[in-house]
Amino acid sequence: MNQTAHLKIVSDIATIAAVSLQNFCAYYGENCILSDITLDIPERGVTCLIGPSGAGKSTLLRTLNRIGEESGNSSHSGKVSIAGRDIITGFPDVTELRRKVGMVFQTPCVFPRSISENVLFGLRGQKLSKIEKREIVERCLKSAALWDEVYKRLDSSALSLSLGQQQRLCIARALAMSPDILLLDEPTASIDPVSARAIENLVMELSSKMTIIMVTHNIGQTKRIADTVVFVCDGQIVEYGAKTDIFSRRSLKKTQTYLTDEFCDC
Amino acid sequence: MNTLFSGVSYLGLWLCTACLLFLLGAIVWQGGNAISLEFLVSPARDFGKSGGILFQILGSLLLVIVAAILVLPLAVGTAIFRQSYIKSPAAKDALDMVLYALNAIPSVTYGIFGLIFFVNILNTGLSWFVGSIILAVMMLPTVTLASHAAMQSLSPHYAENAAALGFTRGETVLRVTLPQSSHGIVTGLLIALARAIGETAPIMFIATAFSGVSLPRSLFEPVATLPTHILALAQQSTDPQALSNAWGASLMLVIFVTLLSSLAFFARNKLNKLSQR
Repeated sequence: MNQTAHLKIVSDIATIAAVSLQNFCAYYGENCILSDITLDIPERGVTCLIGPSGAGKSTLLRTLNRIGEESGNSSHSGKVSIAGRDIITGFPDVTELRRKVGMVFQTPCVFPRSISENVLFGLRGQKLSKIEKREIVERCLKSAALWDEVYKRLDSSALSLSLGQQQRLCIARALAMSPDILLLDEPTASIDPVSARAIENLVMELSSKMTIIMVTHNIGQTKRIADTVVFVCDGQIVEYGAKTDIFSRRSLKKTQTYLTDEFCDC
Repeated sequence: MNTLFSGVSYLGLWLCTACLLFLLGAIVWQGGNAISLEFLVSPARDFGKSGGILFQILGSLLLVIVAAILVLPLAVGTAIFRQSYIKSPAAKDALDMVLYALNAIPSVTYGIFGLIFFVNILNTGLSWFVGSIILAVMMLPTVTLASHAAMQSLSPHYAENAAALGFTRGETVLRVTLPQSSHGIVTGLLIALARAIGETAPIMFIATAFSGVSLPRSLFEPVATLPTHILALAQQSTDPQALSNAWGASLMLVIFVTLLSSLAFFARNKLNKLSQR
């Protein structure tokens, strides 16, 4: 791996790092899932994590809001910081970190409540008037490109929505927390192509306001929406840089093979 | 082969149904003759041979209602602990083993334990409250296992999504797990109550008197209950009036058990629909 070459590519794009990992290693039990990851993810824009299944992309993503800790058997070493704050020492209350770093998973999961209750679900404990609640619901559903489809039935069950709509509702729910960073773990993997395209458009729109880090297996999708691409394979970063560089002949042969054949022999 | 299996299945079904209908028919037929408004609202007299079953009904209800109040937080707490807090598979298996073992203990053993521990060692004397405690302990595995089964059937995505929204484990339990598994908890409780209200062995040594009691004025007084009343009347079965009253009390007990079981069925469907709204 040509570490110097891809560090140079990144230095061109990473003006301010929203997320920074230094010598980061992640373990599940005694298995090392990610080893010696050093990476700066630029502020705003879409950063796509690509790579074969089991490469460690989701583990890397789940590290950033410490959701991996929920499984109870994971541990890590090295340093991860969000806007300069260490995610462990800088966020003694993990709730604060998760408010800053929202996350949407592969499988749409709405709570069996109304559409508006779902949007407001994460804002428990905040004293909001009816008007404020209504404003938040409208703003978030509009941001998630769902308002026009549901504004007449905000009190209907969220379970009545299609899978694609449910996934956008999950994004709206995450947006209600006003995160600085939004983590998306293959958000279009279990929905139809039309809904997937709607989510891609939404991600591009949101990327002007916040940092979006997305795991995807879809090379076409990466080409369409990514600003920065991180290629992960076998628990290590093979290469990362601006999309134009990664998809050009300047990238490493291993990366080019993966991008053309979706195959990696790491 | 298919016909053979169908035949055996139908035979099993009809045999069970026939046994149940025969039993219910006999109780309704014999008990129906004994039951009247006066029978239900009068206290027993002459060791139950005459009078009614007012205090037996009230005593049984008191025992099981207090047992339900005692067991619910314990059982739900245990189920939550098993579901959300224990990480080690070995510890989970150990807890499951204890719960299944508790569920398999004969009810008379609970009664003997209550007699030795509460009545003999703690010197409580006959106490309806001790009876409720013993019934609660007896109901604990049933309610815990039903509650845990309901929690386990929830999608793990709920907890993950709640955590991603910054919910603590406690908040996730309160706002996601409990509302979503309420149908299983209530069903388990009602089924356990239906079993407990008909139990004689766990309470007869520690909580009940066979005659001469009304409503208790303190925690440490005995009550009269339907199952022990039926037992006492059955011992006088050569007396036709005692036998008739035994049938009447049996019918009331069957009505309570049926009501609780039906309520469990209704609650499960209703709460399940509400949680999936």
